[in-house]
Amino acid sequence: MKRNALVFVTLFVAILAMLASGKYLDRVRKHGPMKLVGDVQGKAAPDFALASLDGKKVKLSDFRGKAVLLNFWATWCSPCKVEMPWFEQLQKQYGKDGLVVLGVAMDDSEPATIAKFASDLGVNYQVLLGTDKVSDDYGDVQYLPTTFYIGRDGTIVDKMTGLLDRNEIENAVKKSLGTSYKPASAMKDRAKAEVITADVKVISKRGSIR
Amino acid sequence: MRRAGLLSLAGLLLVAVSLAQGFGDKPFVTMAPIGNVQMKAGASKDLNLDFRIGSEFHVNSHTPKSPLLIPTVLKLSGPEQVAVADLKYPVGQDMTFPFSPDEKLSVYSGDFSIDAVLKTPSTAAPGTYPVKGELRFQACDRSACYPPRTIPVQFQVTIVK
Repeated sequence: MKRNALVFVTLFVAILAMLASGKYLDRVRKHGPMKLVGDVQGKAAPDFALASLDGKKVKLSDFRGKAVLLNFWATWCSPCKVEMPWFEQLQKQYGKDGLVVLGVAMDDSEPATIAKFASDLGVNYQVLLGTDKVSDDYGDVQYLPTTFYIGRDGTIVDKMTGLLDRNEIENAVKKSLGTSYKPASAMKDRAKAEVITADVKVISKRGSIR
Repeated sequence: MRRAGLLSLAGLLLVAVSLAQGFGDKPFVTMAPIGNVQMKAGASKDLNLDFRIGSEFHVNSHTPKSPLLIPTVLKLSGPEQVAVADLKYPVGQDMTFPFSPDEKLSVYSGDFSIDAVLKTPSTAAPGTYPVKGELRFQACDRSACYPPRTIPVQFQVTIVK
């Protein structure tokens, strides 16, 4: 009787695992090996060539060596409107340290409508026109806003979906700039601090002489 | 004993399948089934189409406050024997959300009904006719939004003498 129960439980778990893995493999098959599925951290960000609002082709690979904040949004997405001015601020704050913000508009509106929407929010960073392919390549982006934080080497360091706290976004930006990231302003402060420390050492030396 | 074992196995398989299905996407909006609608030729009839929105979601009403927001729209079409004469949408609830605390959005949440008026010409021949269409909506939860979706809407109208 105990043996039967064990057989049933084993079979149940096996069937469940087979069904779940079948679903997963089906998704992988649909999206292909070069597309993002599951946990994306540490994976290479798929390259793309998308049209900007002024008709230029923009490739992700154009920004190799820079940290990229890649934000998928739409004009019908109210939570996206909250984040976009933050991204503009972050672009201004961290642009000199190597951050590039790219917005990918995932709606069917005319480019002029998208441009006006972005301009009304004070957005000056590049806005690109999204396609089904880029959505698919990034793991079928359905939930907006979705933001990928891409490191200088082109790998994804973080992915965030839904509206989050500004601090969480800023922390992800810092992460994408690199673990040894020091803002340009902090470098100046550090240089000043080193000078001060040197002075203190001299003073303390003098003190010890006394 | 062997039969009981097989039955248990079948039961386990059913549970496993339903659990695996649960890994899929949750529906944003579902429609309550409509039974066969009976009408006389030359008559008109009010029909309520009832929809249920998933508990964590809301959809824009038929008249959202911004032209950029995508309204909920029902489209129905039938054969010449059944005309959908009028559609009445409920008034949206004005709600604020964590993502727009200063801006009220006109939305539907929970259950809502769209009223339709069906009309049949007096010359309509008795019989059963399909009415088909779709409900288009755009859903959000408390922190994000999903692309516009449609769900099929269909029912049958039987015209009697």
